Amino acid sequence: MIPPDPIDLLLERRVIVCVGSGGVGKTSTAAALGLEAARRGRKVLVLTIDPARRLADALGLRATGNDVCRVAVPGAPSEGALDALMLDTRATFDDLIRRLAPDEVRRAEILDNPIYRLVSDSFGSSQEYMATEKLYDVVVSGRYDLVVLDTPPVKNALEFLDAPGRLARFLDRRIVKWFLTPYDENRVFGRVLVGTSGVVFRLLGVIFGREFLADLSRFFVAFRDMYDGFRDRHEAVVRIFEDRSTAFLVVCAPNEASLDVATFFREELLARRLPLAGFVINQVHVADAGAVNVREVLRPLLADLRPARARVVLARCESAHARLRAVAAREVPVRDRIRRYASPELVHREIPVLPEPVRDLAGLDELARHLFGEREACPGAILVPGRSDPRPTA
Amino acid sequence: MPARDVLDARLLFVTGKGGTGKTTVALALARAAAAEGRRVVLVEVDSHRPTLAAWLGIETAYTPVPAGPGLDVANVTWLDALVDWLTGIVPVQRIVRLILTNRMVHLFLDVTPGSREVVLLARIEALLHQYDQVVVDLPATGHAVSLLRVPQQSASLFPTGPLRRTLDGLVVLLARPDTQVVLAALPEEMVVNETIETWQKIAGFRPPLALPLVVLNQALSPDPDPRWREQVRRLAALQPEGPAGEVLRAGLWEAEREEITAEALRRLAREVRARVVVVPLLDTLADPLERVGQVEARLVEALAETSA
Repeated sequence: MIPPDPIDLLLERRVIVCVGSGGVGKTSTAAALGLEAARRGRKVLVLTIDPARRLADALGLRATGNDVCRVAVPGAPSEGALDALMLDTRATFDDLIRRLAPDEVRRAEILDNPIYRLVSDSFGSSQEYMATEKLYDVVVSGRYDLVVLDTPPVKNALEFLDAPGRLARFLDRRIVKWFLTPYDENRVFGRVLVGTSGVVFRLLGVIFGREFLADLSRFFVAFRDMYDGFRDRHEAVVRIFEDRSTAFLVVCAPNEASLDVATFFREELLARRLPLAGFVINQVHVADAGAVNVREVLRPLLADLRPARARVVLARCESAHARLRAVAAREVPVRDRIRRYASPELVHREIPVLPEPVRDLAGLDELARHLFGEREACPGAILVPGRSDPRPTA
Repeated sequence: MPARDVLDARLLFVTGKGGTGKTTVALALARAAAAEGRRVVLVEVDSHRPTLAAWLGIETAYTPVPAGPGLDVANVTWLDALVDWLTGIVPVQRIVRLILTNRMVHLFLDVTPGSREVVLLARIEALLHQYDQVVVDLPATGHAVSLLRVPQQSASLFPTGPLRRTLDGLVVLLARPDTQVVLAALPEEMVVNETIETWQKIAGFRPPLALPLVVLNQALSPDPDPRWREQVRRLAALQPEGPAGEVLRAGLWEAEREEITAEALRRLAREVRARVVVVPLLDTLADPLERVGQVEARLVEALAETSA
């Protein structure tokens, strides 16, 4: 029996996290996986990050906030469905507070706090953190068979993987206690603090201003007894990441910079024992034909053009093909290096550069065809389709 | 504001969607400014995987190192920037150490909105004292816009104190006409969308932040005669096998590239009030520095046209 292709098994997971550097087609890949899974009868949510509205562009959606959009998938069985959601960081954060706050008053206290507003809007890792928060939310809701998460483009893999821990640390009991101490029981800021902490705290007061420290204390007070809730959720997100029904798919492009990021993700995932599912290399240029005599191969096709016109077309095709060959040659060593990571259990797909960027369902459909190999002729693909699918041979 | 000014800018931020060639543009602009006799430093911000080091074949560090005539490069890392900033406020080294070795302080800085960005920007500002021009290779657009917004946004949180004074200084710095942002872009639809969105965000900054130049990389200026594109498309539609197919698909790709370049230029002209310089698709030189050289030559040529 032929063993199942890892990419087919991928669609049977509950969570797929697409990671990789920016500009390598991560969102399109996530959406194409979702499309194919819906066609196979699964209820799928593709979750992406707001700022550039990437998924909306790809799916032709124009929605805001945390609204789920249903994408019509031609040919999907009735039980299959594809939903798309663009993450609204602020709204997700607000939702989380609403859920965890013990009562109405506290809720308002937090949502109106100036520090909270800034943190939820532009906190260094808010986006990454809220992406994982929303992931938890939709996974636990049980409404979907599969959730595909398109991660924010981060320079550093750790930033994304560590995002859930950051807020948990932020609300670490010890730091909260430390900040609350000087303000407890209406004591004034200048109260005597003993030892190093006292000195440091006073210095912070000098540097950041007492007003800020007072605001920060109010902020922490507002969060009192919500810490367990945050910690529990953080731990739950980590459990989802580690679960064997989750898969991390590294998406990259055949250039050195993207390869570096992919390599780094691979190492990080392995080191953290997170389930690496494999690699998708997008935007691959292949020139199989070698040094072609363009005039000779095109001549039969150009017979009905006037000679002057034929010359223009020939010249353009000649230079385009030369350029394609140069690009393809440069990509070979990068592709070889990624191929070294391949194994029979891992997805390994090379996707040819598509004639136009994926911006609608037809484009996603073409991408899905390349990913899942049901390839009829794919008109307009830059390369010979057969070559775009070098499954590991040994 | 004439785009020519970017070479005269004191502080130049370069950003763009991932994969649009912003590091190439940043290095090309820095080299062009240095070639005109300025002392220039090119800065990566808190980069964990410094690209410039690999390209230039040198070890980059927090302290600028020479990378060519008139050009230094540096990787402004957060912790070093923090030490510098604290030293400026608390001149006693022992106390700076005391602050920095305290675990609570690290947590505190981790949670204090914008503190990371502020010390990074403060270091960039400090470099202006040593150089004629500072070019900053910012992270990809989303993060870059939030970084540039920090001084304005977090000012309300800090009514007094040295941090507030730093923030006020940065707000003034960002509003100066010789502080400018350059966007790198590609002619692809989604990249153009993000470029327009970024332009709108930055144009909405109060006080304003100058954004005089968009560099459209990997573009193909359309042949004014559209017929070759139609012909290639017709031939490619026949889906010939073998080498003919490959050649035609290559031709088709470039025909499409011409069309999306035209479309990108139309949309940018309509929605972005900045000069757009087209950098043609390069013949993909293997050496990144050779690519940078070509982009530099193209930018210098295009920017000279504007001033003429």
